[in-house]
Amino acid sequence: MIGTLQQVLERALERLSALMTTYLPPLLAGLAIVLVAYGIALAARWLLTRIFKGIAADRFLRQSGISSVLTRSGRLHATRLVAAGAYWSILLVGLLTALSAFDSQLTSRMIEAMVFLFPKLVIAAAILVAGLWLAQYLSRSALVWAFNEGLPWPRRLAAVVRIVIVLAAVAVAADRLDFGRNVFLAAFVVLVGGAVLAASLALGLGGREAVRRYLEERASRREGEGERSLWSHL
Amino acid sequence: MATTALPENILGAAREVRRADIVIGIPSYNNVRTVAHVVRAAQAGLAKYFPHFAALIVNSDGGSTDGTREAVLSTEIEDAHLLLLSSPLLPVHRLSFPYHGIPGKGSAFRMIFRIAQELEAKACVVVDSDLRSITPEWFDLLARPVLHAGYDFVAPYYHRHKYDGTITNSVVYPLTRALYGLRVRQPIGGDFGLSARLIARYLLRDDWETDVARYGIDIWMTTIAIAEGFRVCQSFLGAKLHDAKDPGADLSAMLHQVVGSVFTLMQEYEWVWRAREGSQPVDLFGFRFDVGLDPIEVNVERMLDAFRSGCEELREVWALALRPDTHAALRKLGCEVARNPQFHLDDELWARVICEFASAHRKWPLERGHLLRSLTPLYLARVASFVIETQSLFSAQVEERIEHLCLCFERLKPYLLAQWNSDARTERKVNP
Repeated sequence: MIGTLQQVLERALERLSALMTTYLPPLLAGLAIVLVAYGIALAARWLLTRIFKGIAADRFLRQSGISSVLTRSGRLHATRLVAAGAYWSILLVGLLTALSAFDSQLTSRMIEAMVFLFPKLVIAAAILVAGLWLAQYLSRSALVWAFNEGLPWPRRLAAVVRIVIVLAAVAVAADRLDFGRNVFLAAFVVLVGGAVLAASLALGLGGREAVRRYLEERASRREGEGERSLWSHL
Repeated sequence: MATTALPENILGAAREVRRADIVIGIPSYNNVRTVAHVVRAAQAGLAKYFPHFAALIVNSDGGSTDGTREAVLSTEIEDAHLLLLSSPLLPVHRLSFPYHGIPGKGSAFRMIFRIAQELEAKACVVVDSDLRSITPEWFDLLARPVLHAGYDFVAPYYHRHKYDGTITNSVVYPLTRALYGLRVRQPIGGDFGLSARLIARYLLRDDWETDVARYGIDIWMTTIAIAEGFRVCQSFLGAKLHDAKDPGADLSAMLHQVVGSVFTLMQEYEWVWRAREGSQPVDLFGFRFDVGLDPIEVNVERMLDAFRSGCEELREVWALALRPDTHAALRKLGCEVARNPQFHLDDELWARVICEFASAHRKWPLERGHLLRSLTPLYLARVASFVIETQSLFSAQVEERIEHLCLCFERLKPYLLAQWNSDARTERKVNP
């Protein structure tokens, strides 16, 4: 019995030794790579913060309204953006390189997937940011136009414009990523098409009189204003 | 340098005249009811006051379909009825053509200036085509300071109803006076006298395709003349009565273009207005007199409704321009509209609103359209407040109120500079 126990222990120790021989060196190598990548990322962030004078980029981000889309305060500093981007990119490359030290099929597939996915992620993010900016800009245009035209519920109209554009941006970004492509597209078509159909039905069935009254009141108000406000602004 | 080529047919017609000492420019669009009177006044003015000068009346038309151009060309006046002391030696020619470019008064003026330059005119007088109160004396008062006293820019000075010219009284006059230091009372009057030197300067500009082409043309002309050191004066013309043919004019577009032009020019001439403090009076020619004016009705309730709605609906857009304390003060006023029959938007708050919008116009170039169009309810609130305040006042007292507003704008110039500079200071903090 003692002999059997000894054999089991020896086999276990052999297996452990084999595992450590196989995986410990790549693990240590991976850790070393990650540490080096971390050091380089820190150095790159420090260097870029010092040498990159992003005044023109800061002004563009602020004046275009992109910074107000991405941060609540509306203050987005290009220098910090670039430095943070470089930091995380170098760290990511370091992690991928550390993973490749294991040289297994699983890790190779993971690296491949990330390398192919990364550009699509960047484009999808750009599409989302552009969509958010466009939604903000066009919803403000709709708000101010609707208000000056005296239309009812200008803020609701602006909100609808914003939602439609954001939905469209999400659908396009999902299409880019091959992520639930048909789901998002179908959802967009169903929502927008359904809303239009519902509005048409509501107007056709129950809203004709209300719209006619509104248009008549508007026309008579404009004529009245025209006769009363015979004064020169300039 | 801007290209200012005239179409060949117009150039040919102008060259047939060969030369003109004075060019009278009349831009028009569907003004058949009034343009004949303006042309007769011009003809009489030239015959009476400039009989020895070669003159040309130019009508730059925006594609009228009511016979305006035909009325211009066919209008006659009998010299015998003018009781002239001397007979005109030289005939007054007339030219009428459709202008090219963006529809608007600015494009019409550009063609007129080009013709005046081509004919080497010593003076150019431009007048609106819908004036009912224009007299032959207007042309003497607008051209003589240029021809005989060496002025480059003659602005009009009118006797107006207290509720007339509210964009001028509320925004353009106080702001322009505080910025550039000259008290030109009617900077967007619409009727001006110009020298050849100033016309040449205008034609060299390359912003004719902007809001300058529309309602912005008048303030553009005035600002350039003042900011670039041309000799400026005013002439008293009496009452200004327009033909009321377009009462539903788009106020939002008018404000957008006029105020937008002022703000845009502020950025170009920052180096001028930063250095100026206070304001100086401007020489005024002509014999001042009072005239009776038709009463004007103003719907104060509608204006206050628009302001109250604006406080609610446009707060997100106003937040882009206004400081939190200014925005809060306006929202408080908006809540009090229904309860307070004596609504009052005081001068200092109004001046702060304009200063903050001017700074925001510079800071947010992509949002300029939104900001300017969202100014409409604030402007209506200011006008409503002014109307309520001046209901029982005579015109001299109203003029004192406007003077008080102007002094407030001048006093707040350091505030404007602080708002303007805060943009530059923010950038220096981020990137020391």
